[in-house]
Amino acid sequence: MNAVTTTLPRLAVERPPFAAVAEAELDAVHRYLLFLTGDGSLAEDLTGETFEKAFRTWRRFDPRRGSARTWLCQIARTTALDHFRAEERRRRREDRFARERTAIEEPPAVPGELGAALSRLSPAEREVVALRVVLELDGPIAARLLGISRTACSTRLSRALTRLEELMTDARD
Amino acid sequence: MPATDTDFEREFAELVAQLREVPAAAPESLQARVRALGEPEAPPTLRDRLATIRWRRAFLLAAPACLAVLLSVAAVRGLLSSNEPQPKALTTTVSGGEVLAPATKAVPAPTWGTTRDQAGTSGAFGLGHGVSGGRPVNYDASLRLRVRDADALSDKTAEAMRLARSFGGYVSSLQQTTTAGRPGEADLVLRIPVAHVEEAITGLAALGTVIEQHLSIVDLQQTLDQQRRQIRNLRVQIARLTAALRNPSLTADVRLRLQFQLDEARQALTRATRANKGTLREAALSEIALSLTTQHAAGTVTKHHRSRLDRAARNAASFLAAAGAFVLFLLIVVSPLLLVAAAWVYGSRAYRRREERRLLAPAPE
Repeated sequence: MNAVTTTLPRLAVERPPFAAVAEAELDAVHRYLLFLTGDGSLAEDLTGETFEKAFRTWRRFDPRRGSARTWLCQIARTTALDHFRAEERRRRREDRFARERTAIEEPPAVPGELGAALSRLSPAEREVVALRVVLELDGPIAARLLGISRTACSTRLSRALTRLEELMTDARD
Repeated sequence: MPATDTDFEREFAELVAQLREVPAAAPESLQARVRALGEPEAPPTLRDRLATIRWRRAFLLAAPACLAVLLSVAAVRGLLSSNEPQPKALTTTVSGGEVLAPATKAVPAPTWGTTRDQAGTSGAFGLGHGVSGGRPVNYDASLRLRVRDADALSDKTAEAMRLARSFGGYVSSLQQTTTAGRPGEADLVLRIPVAHVEEAITGLAALGTVIEQHLSIVDLQQTLDQQRRQIRNLRVQIARLTAALRNPSLTADVRLRLQFQLDEARQALTRATRANKGTLREAALSEIALSLTTQHAAGTVTKHHRSRLDRAARNAASFLAAAGAFVLFLLIVVSPLLLVAAAWVYGSRAYRRREERRLLAPAPE
C-alpha cells in the first residue's frame, strides 16, 4: 500500500471514508510502530489495535486540525505508550515472583546492520526517526505529535541520526 | 545539528535513503483485520461532537460576540428606557379587609412634574369617582410639591389652606420655614371630608410641581362591621343581665356577680361606641399631608437637565457597569476553581510527559 496523502483542505469539514483512510495509512502506521517498538509482532498487534480505536473514534476526527496520518500516529503513539506501561507493570509483577528472569532475544524488526543499529537506539529516538525520516512528517507536526518543541524535535532527530550513523560505522568496521 | 527541517536529508543522505527503503509493509493478516472493520455507521454522539469543537477558536469567536451582544443589549436597553417615564415616587397603598379593586384599576401611571395645566379633573392620583364604591374608607395622602420661590411658597400655602376650607375641611397643622439662603419649606396637615378628597388632591397638586406623592386607602367597612357586631352583642348582654337582676330570688353573691358583669358590659359598650364613632370620623375626614418646597428635588428631571440621548447613554452605561460587576463577581468566585483546574491540567500534563520520557528512554545497559 502506498502512503497516499489524506490531508484535506483546511476548510473542509467532511471526513473521508474510514476504509479509504485505513487502506492508505495502514503501512505508514505499521512502519511507525515497527520503528517505535522495534518488534515486528508487537507492531502488528498495536497497529491492529490502533485502527480499531480509530474506527471507534472516527467521528471525532476533524480534518481541519490535521491529516489523518497525524491523527492515526497520535492514536498509535498512545496505544504504544499504554502497552509499554502495561508491560512495565507486568514485568514488575513478575519480578516479585521470579528474581532471575531470562531475557528472551527477539530478532530485530528491521534486518541487517541498520536493524541492529536501530535496536540500540532508544524508543524515543527511533520514534522521531520514523516520523521525520520514514513517514516524512513536517517538523512542526512531528513536534506536536511528540508533545515537544520544534527545536527539541530537531535536536532529537539529529542526535538519533548521528548515533545511528556511528553505530553503523562501528558495525562495518 | 541540522539548521532546517530538510538539512538532515543532505547531511545523512545515505542513511535516510536506507531508512526509507526498509520494507515495512503491513502483513496480509493485518490488512485483512483492518479491512474487516469496514465503515463506522453509528451516528455521532454528543461526546463526538464536543471533541470536534475547537475550543480555543470558539472562545476567540465567542468572546467578541458576547461583547458585541452585551453592547447591543446595553444600547437597546438605554434607548428603550430613555422613552420610559422618569422614576416615580407615587405609591398607592390600598389595605384593609378587602382590596378596593376600582382604586387599583383607576390609578394610572403618574406623571412627574405635574403642572397646574396638567392636573386634570381626575386628580393627581387619578382616583376615579366612587373609588370606595360607597364603602367607608380612610384616605391618607401625602403630596410634596415644588414651588418657584419663597413668595410663591407663602401664596401657595395660603391657597392650600383656602382650598381645605372650601371643601369643608380644616388645617390640622401648619409649619412654614423661610430662611435666607436656604430653600423654603411649608408642611401642612389638612383634614378634608372624604367626599371631596379627590377634588382636594387635584386642587392641591395643581399648586406646584409634584415631586412626590403617596396615597393610602384603608377600607374601614370590616372594622365598622366588627364594631357594630360588638356593640350589638354588648347591648344584648346588658339586656340579659338587667333582666336577670330583676329576679328577686337571687342570692346576694349571685346578684353582686351579675352587677359586676353588667358594669363591665356597660363600660365595654361605651368603649366600643367611642371606637365606632372614631372610625366613622376617620371615614368622614381624610388626612392630607402637604409639603411645599422651593428646593429642586434630586429626582426632578426637566427637559433642560438631561436630553433623551443623555439618558440613553447613562442607562446603557449603568447596564454595562452592572454587567461588568456581575462578571467581576463571577470571576472572583470562579477564579480559585480555575486556578485549581489549571494547576491540575498542567500538573497532569507534566506528569504524562515525564512518564512518556521514562517509557521511551533507552533501556539500562
